[in-house]
Amino acid sequence: MSTTRTILICSGKGGVGKTTTTANLGIALARQGAKTVVLDADFGLRNLDLLLGLENRIVYTAQEVLAETCRLEQALVKHKQEPNLALLPAGNPRMLEWLKPKDMQAIVALLERQFDYVLIDCPAGIEDGFKNAAAAAREAVVITTPEVAAVRDADRVIGLLNTQGVQPVQLVLNRVRPKMMSNQEMLSVDDVTDILALPLLGLVFEDEQVIVSTNRGEPLTLSDSSSPAAQAYGNIAQRLQGEDIPLMDPSQARRGLRARMRQLMQTRIF
Amino acid sequence: MTLTLPDQRLDHWRDRLPDLLSKCSELVVDLDCGDWLLNCSDLKDLSAAVTDAGHQLGRITGRVLETVVSASALGLDASPSRMSSQNDSVPNAVAAGPADLLFHHGTLRSGDHLQSDRSILLYGDVNPGARISSTADVLVWGRLRGVAHAGCEGSTTAKIIALQLRPLQLRIADVVARGPEDLPQVGLAEQAELKDGVIAIEPAVIQSFQKR
Repeated sequence: MSTTRTILICSGKGGVGKTTTTANLGIALARQGAKTVVLDADFGLRNLDLLLGLENRIVYTAQEVLAETCRLEQALVKHKQEPNLALLPAGNPRMLEWLKPKDMQAIVALLERQFDYVLIDCPAGIEDGFKNAAAAAREAVVITTPEVAAVRDADRVIGLLNTQGVQPVQLVLNRVRPKMMSNQEMLSVDDVTDILALPLLGLVFEDEQVIVSTNRGEPLTLSDSSSPAAQAYGNIAQRLQGEDIPLMDPSQARRGLRARMRQLMQTRIF
Repeated sequence: MTLTLPDQRLDHWRDRLPDLLSKCSELVVDLDCGDWLLNCSDLKDLSAAVTDAGHQLGRITGRVLETVVSASALGLDASPSRMSSQNDSVPNAVAAGPADLLFHHGTLRSGDHLQSDRSILLYGDVNPGARISSTADVLVWGRLRGVAHAGCEGSTTAKIIALQLRPLQLRIADVVARGPEDLPQVGLAEQAELKDGVIAIEPAVIQSFQKR
């Protein structure tokens, strides 16, 4: 009986931060001591390796492992700075057709033998790519942003996950802008949880550092960054591990940030 | 593989069947006759069409009892079908209970479509993007924020009742209305019904729940 937690990270809509979350969560979990593998099921447009800075180290994919042309250890790409984390691309971008739900289950079964966490980065949409990725998952984290379209798509995906028996499904609200939220120019946290009716695993504030780190291929959680997004991902990882960390409050966070900025400026000047 | 004959109002089955059969790759074909009333000679034609296309006719289902009886009389494997909860994405529908009521426990999420030929009592929300439709009344013990269609086969006395009635769209029989824009009063259940050919929303009254 394996105690591995196989978590699908999905959203329905594209561009809400599935891959970013997978990368940061993977690093954060690994740093907290859990043996973690991130499985890139979005291999048609694979980006997870980019975000982790591992693009140039991929030789094999899960496809070769299943075809038994290489061993699993050869296909797993270990992260340079964080040896607890490994990456496995599910397939070759040029051979989209080969992967079937049972292949996905076979890959995950292999991974579950040696890891504590398997994070599956799901492609956008609800077609075959999603179905394949969802077939192997036991639980799911749905990423959404406080936008009507993203919430609608998340709702659809949650419905599909429920029919597949994926349980529990938790929610991460990404790219929250506290200022817009307090001005009521954006859906509030309550608006979103009201519709989706899921436990909130975390709030991630919009943070420019995410873009910088993404382009550099070094996830924010890799360094001891004090950026709000890095902290949020760290918190999410801890909550996944069962720790009780209070959620950030958007209205408080704004003040907190500003206060911290002021503090920072003061320390530099004086 | 089950082929479903087209909706009576949209297309005649004789026109659509060759097309349906040509798209079917399996040898044995089950047929869902939907709401078609087919007599023995219709069924003979139908079964000949299936055989001519190189398939074998398997099971026949239908909502019209006469069709099922005729099919059995011809020695075909036939059974009646229910219309309720056709959508596989809506697993919580409970068929038990009064024969004229479908009880469903759970929220309908975007993309779900709960459909029944009975009145529906939904214990949960109808989220934006979801649809609920019944040939009779629609009762939602929760928030109705999607699309609701009562009396979808033409009953103009059908009602839509919800604890919070803020739908994207309401339909009763063949009348369509957009949902109200303003926020509802908290704690006030509302009902929608046809008045002079227009859908009107007003506070729900106790009599709405009683049998007509």
